[in-house]
Amino acid sequence: MVRRKILTAAIVIALPAIVAAQFGHPLKGTWSGEWGPKNSPTRLLLDFEWDGKDLTGKINPGTGAEGTVKKVTIDYSPVTSWKVQIEGEVNEGGKVIPVRVDGTLENLGAYTRAFHGTWTQGTRKGEFAVTRN
Amino acid sequence: MINSLRAALVCAAAVAVFASTLLTSGVWVQAAQQQAQPGVAAQAPPAGAARQGGGGRGRGRGPQDPTPRLADGTVNFGRVPGEKGTWNVPYITNMAMRVVTGPGSTQLVPEIVAQQEAAAAARAGGAGARGGARGGGGGGRGGAKSEPWIPWMPWSAAVYDYNSKNESKYDPEGYCLPPGGPRMMATPYHMEIIQMPEHNRIVMIFEGATHIWREIYVDGRKFPEGDALNPTYLGYSIGRWQDKDTLIVENKGFNENSWLDYFGHPHTDKMEVTERWTRPNKGQLRYEATVNDPGAYTRPFTMMWENITWDMDLTPELPEYICQENNRFLNRLTDDLGQPIFGPRQQPGEKPARGTR
Repeated sequence: MVRRKILTAAIVIALPAIVAAQFGHPLKGTWSGEWGPKNSPTRLLLDFEWDGKDLTGKINPGTGAEGTVKKVTIDYSPVTSWKVQIEGEVNEGGKVIPVRVDGTLENLGAYTRAFHGTWTQGTRKGEFAVTRN
Repeated sequence: MINSLRAALVCAAAVAVFASTLLTSGVWVQAAQQQAQPGVAAQAPPAGAARQGGGGRGRGRGPQDPTPRLADGTVNFGRVPGEKGTWNVPYITNMAMRVVTGPGSTQLVPEIVAQQEAAAAARAGGAGARGGARGGGGGGRGGAKSEPWIPWMPWSAAVYDYNSKNESKYDPEGYCLPPGGPRMMATPYHMEIIQMPEHNRIVMIFEGATHIWREIYVDGRKFPEGDALNPTYLGYSIGRWQDKDTLIVENKGFNENSWLDYFGHPHTDKMEVTERWTRPNKGQLRYEATVNDPGAYTRPFTMMWENITWDMDLTPELPEYICQENNRFLNRLTDDLGQPIFGPRQQPGEKPARGTR
């Protein structure tokens, strides 16, 4: 329920304007939203590229932390909501911290596609929700 | 129940505008007859006949006449002085059903032929098979598995399955965005080709497809490189004559805002398309497109159709058609989460909007 509210809020915030959709790889592009506790969420930015073989990208989970995507695994079998697993790492205050993301990619065909799930960064864990910019 | 964008927009418009025309020309009847014959859809007509090419508006005049040519002997894809005419572009909903064995070939890949034969046999047996009959392109909506000859990547197959499942709800052409790429020649409105050899360029203008034009440079230039190749719906087109009969157009620099067809075959900005244009006789245009998209497909594949007919009688000049005008379907289209695609978003706690999902 909380996750749903976060997702809906993220959509409302991010989507006052509708422009042409991007119909290449659905994960490609920049995404923005939040992760962490509901009462003190952290801004989250993701940026994915698709080179025809691998999804690569950058992750920015809040002030003072930036990192890269190391591996993306996608389960395409749920036709309307893909299961996405991301492994990466962020540099936070000079320390390299592993990041693991277990999420669901929804609303695949719409410009307003959404990605939400569980964000684990080192010992911290919380829900996340981002939408395509 | 999901309503099809095509049914709401392109189909409705096509029916409204062309119905009387088609009844008199019989082109749809011909197309249906072709689909009933396995392997026929992409085959060249027999010598002296115009099985695919003779059915358009102006039928009966063109096919008997030879290919018109310009002063330098190259094919004239447009009008000859003193006459009018436009090309009647067919409605091809599923380009996968037009895949041939390779560039220059008119033979459908064996899997399609087998599928058509099975469908014909089923029809003959009264089973009412769907394959090959729907939307002029055939193939039903069986998703990626029903088109094993398409060199899918896992993600492109999954996207195609998704588009199949929601019956192309997100078709960008339904939003009145440009079809882009080969789909320009599969959107059922008329078009015209204007050659300007003195300027080393060819301009194509389209009644439908958002009333758009494309320009092909035939001046021997190279493609812009890097950021100079700005991604667009139609890409950057450079043409050359292979001989005086075939115009080859190389295209790259596509954006990712379009689909290859109504059925929802995706593509990426890595796509390059090689087109081969010929006019076997005055009444017929043959179009071939080889799609090479290493971002979405594991190898290139070639599609071909030659039922583009010359119309001198019923639509000798292009009328104005504005897709964006009164496109009410957009107002009631909702996404997978129940939110309007266009217009104000639902606030948290609000009752979900009713609409087309």
